[in-house]
Amino acid sequence: MEKSQSEIRIIIVGIAKNPLGFMGLVIVGAIVFSAIFAAWIVPYDPIEMNIRDRMQGPSWSHLLGTDQLGRDTFSRVITGGQVALKVALPAVFGAMAIGLTLGMVAGYGPKWLDNFLMLLFDTIRSFPTVMFALAVVALVGPSLQTVVLVVMATSIPTYGRVARTQTLTLRNSEFILAERSMGASMARILGVHMLPNIIGVLAVLAAMDIPTVIALEAGLSFLGLGVKPPTPSWGALLKDGYALVRQTPWLVIGGGLPIIVATLGFTFLGESLRDVVDPKLRKNQ
Amino acid sequence: MKIEWTKTPIGRRKFLKGATALGATAALPMGFGGSALAQESGTLRVRAYGDAPNMDPAHSVGVVEEEIHSSIYNKLVQYKPGSEWGWQLDAASSIEQVDPTHIKFALRDDIGFTNGHGAMTAEDVKFSFERIIADETESPNKPDMGPLSHVEVTGEREGTIVLNEPFAPLWSIALPYITGNIVSKSAVEGAGGRINSEPVAESGPYLRASWSPKAKTVLQRNPDWKGDAPAWDTIEIYPIDDENTAEIAFEAGELDLTRVSLGSVARYRDGVPNGGTLVENPSLFYVWLGMNLDHPKLQNQKLRQAIQHAIDVPTILEASYFGAADPSTGIIAPGLAGNRAEGLVAAEANVEKAMALLAESGESNVTLTLDILNKTTYTTMAQVIQAMLAQIGIALEINVLESGAFWASGDNENLQLVLNRYSMAPDPSYATAWFTSAQAGIWNWERFRNEEFDAIHSAASAETDTAKRATMYQRAQDLMEESGAYRFITHEATPVIHSSRVIPALRPDGLSLLRYFGKA
Repeated sequence: MEKSQSEIRIIIVGIAKNPLGFMGLVIVGAIVFSAIFAAWIVPYDPIEMNIRDRMQGPSWSHLLGTDQLGRDTFSRVITGGQVALKVALPAVFGAMAIGLTLGMVAGYGPKWLDNFLMLLFDTIRSFPTVMFALAVVALVGPSLQTVVLVVMATSIPTYGRVARTQTLTLRNSEFILAERSMGASMARILGVHMLPNIIGVLAVLAAMDIPTVIALEAGLSFLGLGVKPPTPSWGALLKDGYALVRQTPWLVIGGGLPIIVATLGFTFLGESLRDVVDPKLRKNQ
Repeated sequence: MKIEWTKTPIGRRKFLKGATALGATAALPMGFGGSALAQESGTLRVRAYGDAPNMDPAHSVGVVEEEIHSSIYNKLVQYKPGSEWGWQLDAASSIEQVDPTHIKFALRDDIGFTNGHGAMTAEDVKFSFERIIADETESPNKPDMGPLSHVEVTGEREGTIVLNEPFAPLWSIALPYITGNIVSKSAVEGAGGRINSEPVAESGPYLRASWSPKAKTVLQRNPDWKGDAPAWDTIEIYPIDDENTAEIAFEAGELDLTRVSLGSVARYRDGVPNGGTLVENPSLFYVWLGMNLDHPKLQNQKLRQAIQHAIDVPTILEASYFGAADPSTGIIAPGLAGNRAEGLVAAEANVEKAMALLAESGESNVTLTLDILNKTTYTTMAQVIQAMLAQIGIALEINVLESGAFWASGDNENLQLVLNRYSMAPDPSYATAWFTSAQAGIWNWERFRNEEFDAIHSAASAETDTAKRATMYQRAQDLMEESGAYRFITHEATPVIHSSRVIPALRPDGLSLLRYFGKA
C-alpha cells in the first residue's frame, strides 16, 4: 500500500515537473472539479428558459451570454462538462477493463481463443466509429447510456490489442515461467504478475483516449444524437451555436472552447504520463 | 439548331383574345420590361438549396429541379410572379376550360426544341402529360395530374385535355408546376423513354449549358427563343445546403440571390449588405405538433385537448423562428382557398383551460415522448413545448432522430407526439391528401381517421366553385383540430435577399421563377 502510494506520488511529481504536464494536470483538475461541484458553481439553472433574455452577449450577469432560449451559456458549459465526463470516464475505463481482460486472455490463453478474440476485435474495428455510433443511436435512440455503450464497444479492441501484445511479450519472461513452474494458476499469473506490468501503458492510452471520447460525444450531440435535450452538452451547444453563428458567436465559443481546452488538457496529461511511466523514456531522462 | 414550323391558321393575337380572362389578364404584367433589359449581357448567380441532377420532369423531386426545368422547358401556363397565386400563358397561346372535364388549348407557333427535334406540337403535349400518368413511367408526380384521362390532339398545335372528373388543382399544381413541363416526344422516345441528367431537347428561354455535380448548374440564353427575351445571358445556380454559408456568399458578393435563415431576418431588416434588398414572403410549408391517436397513452381526447391548449404558439415562434414567422391556423396557408382566419384553438396558450381539461381527463402522472428531427429549430421548439407541458404536469421526453429514422416514423406504432413539417404545393388538396384514412401509418402519422374528412378531400378536388371549395377545406381543418390530434404551429416564411442589380421574379411563397428575373 505504502509502495503504491509512493509510486503515485512519483508519477504526479513527474508530471508536474513537465510544464505541459503541469498545465494538463491543472486543466484536467479544473474540469473534474467544476464537474463535481457544478451544482454549486453554476449561477443559474442550466435548463431554465428566459426567452426575453435570449441571445445576449457576455455580461457580468451572464459571463458567456445566453442561448436562443435565454439560458445562461456559462451554466450550460459547466454542466456540459459533467456530461462529457459522465460519458468519457465510464466509457474509457470500462473499455480499458474489458479490453485489458480480453487482451490478456488472448495473449496468454490457447491459440484458438486468441484467434477468435482477434477476429472479434478486427470486426469491431472495421466499423468506422462515428458511423457505428450513428447506426446504434438510430436503432435504439439517443441517450447518455447509448453513447457510453457505443464508445465502450468501439474502444475495447484498442485496449485489447495493446494488452495482448504486452502479454505476449511477457508470457515467456523468466518471472512468469518461474511462477508457472511453481504451479500458479492462470488467474494469479495474469492478475498478480502481468497486470501491474501492463496497466501503466493502458493508463497512458486511456488518458489520451478521454479527449477522443469527449469529442465523439460532442460530435454525436452536434448531430443531435447525443444526450437528450434539455440536458446541456458541449456538442449540443456547438450545434446550436453553429446554427445561430450569424446572430451570436458566443454559443460557438461556449461550446467549442471547452472541447479544445479539455482535449489539450487530457493530451498534455497523457503525454506526460507516458513520459513518466515509460521505463525507456524515464531512463533517458 | 434550326426550328422549323408552320404558321398556325389563327394568329397569336387572336388566340390571346380568346384566352380565359384570368390567363389574359395575367399575361400582361410580366414584372419586367423584357426587350430593353434583355439587350444587356450579364450573369445572374443564385443559390439553390440542393443539386439538380435529374432533367426529367416525370421524375422531378421538387422545387430545386423545377427551377431549372421551368427555365429550359415550357408549359402551357406558368406561375405568375407576384404576391398572389395565379398563372400566365407560356407555350399556350390560349387555354380555356370549356366544361368541368375538358380544357382546350392552342400552342404558340414559335416554340421549337433543340437538337433538331422541331417545333412544339400538340403531340408533344399529349406525350408529356400522358407519360406522367402511364404506369410504366412510374412517375412519383402522377398524383399531381389527378383524374387526367388523356389529351386529344385536334390539330398540329391544338388539343383538348380530358379529365375523368372535374379537378380544380389542375390549374394550380398540375399545369403550371412540375407535371406541366412539355418535353419533346421524338427526343424522349429516341432516348428510350427516359431523360437522365442530360436534357435531350430543350425549348425554354434558357438552355442548360453545363452541370457540375454538387457545384454548379449553368443556364445560358437560348438563341432560338422567340418569346420575350430573358434579361440575363447566363444564370449560374449554386447548390448550397447551409443558409449561413449562402448568406456569407451573398455578403461577399458571390451570389445575387439567396433564401436566408429566419434567424437572420432581424439583421437584414436593418440593412442588407451591398445595397441589397430583403423580401419577406409567406411560405406554404406547415409545421405542427401531432399526436398518435392509436397510441394507448393518447386515447383520451381531453388529454389531447389539454396539450393543445397548454402550448403557446407565439412563444414557440419567438424562440425558434425569432418572431419572423406567424402562427398558423391549419395546414392550408394564407392565400390559398381554405385558409382559416382563425383556428378552433387560439394560438396563445390557455393554461387554466389546459389544466381543467387535464383534470377532466382523469389522467395523472402523464409521461409522453416527442419525436423530432435533429435540427436546431426543432430541438428549440421541442424544449419550449417540454417546458409548457411541464406547467400542467405532463412530463415530456424528447427523442431526437436523424433524418432517415425520423422520416421512417410513419409506420412507427410507438410514436406518441411528433413535431412535423410538410412541404406544400399551391393547392389545398395537396395538404389534405396526407391526412386521409388511407394515409394512416404512411404520411398520416397521427392515424387520424374521419369519414367526413375523407369525403371532403375527395369532393373538394372536384369542386370548381372556389368559395364552396374554401368552405369545404375549412371544415376539414376543423375536423382535424377537433380530434385533438393536432396543434398547428406555423407556415414559416421565405425570406430572400437579392443584390441591387436584380429584379427578382418570385412566386408568392418566395420561390424563384428564374426565367422571369429582370435586371435593375
